[in-house]
Amino acid sequence: MDTATVRELLERQVTAFTSAPAFAELESGKAEYDAFIENVARTHLQSPQLVAFLYALAPPAAVPDLLENLLEETGRKRPLERARAHPQLLEELLVAAGLADRLPTIRAQAEDDLRRLVTEPLLYGTLRDVGLAALTEIVAFELMLSRLAGRIAAALATHRGLPARALEWFTHHSEVDVRHAEQGLENLATYVGYYGIGDDEALAIIETSLREDVFARRYFRAPKAAEPRR
Amino acid sequence: MRLVGATLYVVRVPFVEAFSHSVAERRCSESVVVRVQDDVGAEGFGEGTPRSYVTGETVETTLEALAHELWPAVAGREVPPADDLAALAAMLPHMSSAAGITPNAARAAMELAVVDCALRRVARPMATILPPRRPRVTYSGIVTAGSIERAVQHARRMRAIGIREIKVKVGFDDDVSRVTAVREALGTDASLRLDANGAWTFDRAVAVLDALAPLQIAGVEQPLPRGRVEDLARLRRATSIPIIVDESLLTAADADALIEARAADVFNVRVSKCGGFAASLAIADRAAAAGVGVQVGSQVGETAILAAAGRHLAATLPRIAFAEGSFGTLLLTEDVSVDSVRFGHRGEAPLLTGPGLGIRVVEERLRRYAATVRDLSAGG
Repeated sequence: MDTATVRELLERQVTAFTSAPAFAELESGKAEYDAFIENVARTHLQSPQLVAFLYALAPPAAVPDLLENLLEETGRKRPLERARAHPQLLEELLVAAGLADRLPTIRAQAEDDLRRLVTEPLLYGTLRDVGLAALTEIVAFELMLSRLAGRIAAALATHRGLPARALEWFTHHSEVDVRHAEQGLENLATYVGYYGIGDDEALAIIETSLREDVFARRYFRAPKAAEPRR
Repeated sequence: MRLVGATLYVVRVPFVEAFSHSVAERRCSESVVVRVQDDVGAEGFGEGTPRSYVTGETVETTLEALAHELWPAVAGREVPPADDLAALAAMLPHMSSAAGITPNAARAAMELAVVDCALRRVARPMATILPPRRPRVTYSGIVTAGSIERAVQHARRMRAIGIREIKVKVGFDDDVSRVTAVREALGTDASLRLDANGAWTFDRAVAVLDALAPLQIAGVEQPLPRGRVEDLARLRRATSIPIIVDESLLTAADADALIEARAADVFNVRVSKCGGFAASLAIADRAAAAGVGVQVGSQVGETAILAAAGRHLAATLPRIAFAEGSFGTLLLTEDVSVDSVRFGHRGEAPLLTGPGLGIRVVEERLRRYAATVRDLSAGG
């Protein structure tokens, strides 16, 4: 499979995200920052499990990359004294933002998202296709974060007053996901080739997984609840 | 059992991507959800989707009908047993069409809520009222309007998830090339039908259908605007492609007129559009007696509540030509139920066997996506 086509598809998603009014609000001090932080945490708290699932399906050539990714996510990459599990970084972000009391709710939401993913009828007929959809999601977020994690961290530092240590999840992704994103695109192509998925079929699955504004959908969701009137 | 409280929610859930056809483009759902509560704390949920271009209803007319006609008719009254759909539906007043409005979405929302509540109170499933005749429901996919490139992209996505029955939105200048491109993308083994949403004139309909007939079109939905059934009958005689009626079919009287005029091969029965379970079954019964097929349709952007209702209706009818709906989070950024109602591979979805409609609505999500929340007491 041609990685250029997939790259273009993912880049379009990144552009759509940065073009969204909500992203402009994030960078201009007008966003609902607490909701944004909660949504980021909810989106990624279960990432190690998703990566572990993909590791189980990885073609031989992609195993080393996915294992490294899994070790990073779970805080087991050497040197261990510097390694921190990514969910831990997200929880520290919430605490630093004064949202510690929201942590149980956000954990429950993230667990519910995973439960829903596991229990609803599968869209695809084979584990092969389910794996491609899951890999697409991981690669898409890695690519987006490699481009934008720094800008998001800067916005949170400037407009929400968060210290650098609290923003480690973003800075980490900004640094390592440049490499991860490139590896991810290669791994997508490797996966498609190894499991013999036709290019058109693979692209259809990738597009179905992303659809429109996948990032805004996750990071800018959930308005506040309306109050009743009589 | 007496109903002691009701809450109305105007729910707008953003779509994952815009959905468009010849009449409208939507970027979020627009439903009116009704929550009723009885004297022992059992609750039930119903949903209606007012569409001015279908029943003439708007959100405002629906809220008005619910607050001032439908809720006062059931508030504080003894509710019939849960297994008596006819009696439950009969609690609601007859509301005839007036000023171009057929208040079916409002009626459906209240009927579903009352039925759901009555069943939940006794912990019985919907099968008590609508026994299923099949173990699962298989849904069609829909290719929305937009560029031909986008239509083909949608078709490929449908194929990727194994859906083999596809409906294409038409009613544009490029209908023939659009449908031809979708057919090429899907291959010859997929069932393909069209939905013009009443956008064609008679002559345009004949021309497009003639041009597309070689593509093995399984049906064309609402080719002409709602109006004289004789025009539909004339078109039916002029084309070999089966005619499916949607906007022309709101009531049992519409069904009778269409049958008498031999104007349709298939009725598109939608729970909200037709005014609830009882009215939908009445129309489906007429269709069966007249040898007309039934498609169980859906409303774009309906939440899990109407999706569940559609699932039960599709499962209980003796024969269905096609079923639509249950897109769930394929279209909505978030649905309102704990459990997903979205169909899976090949469009297949299991029966919903829990109490009431078989879903667990998260009231907090209704509030989160509500543009308006209105509490009604037993006093109306």
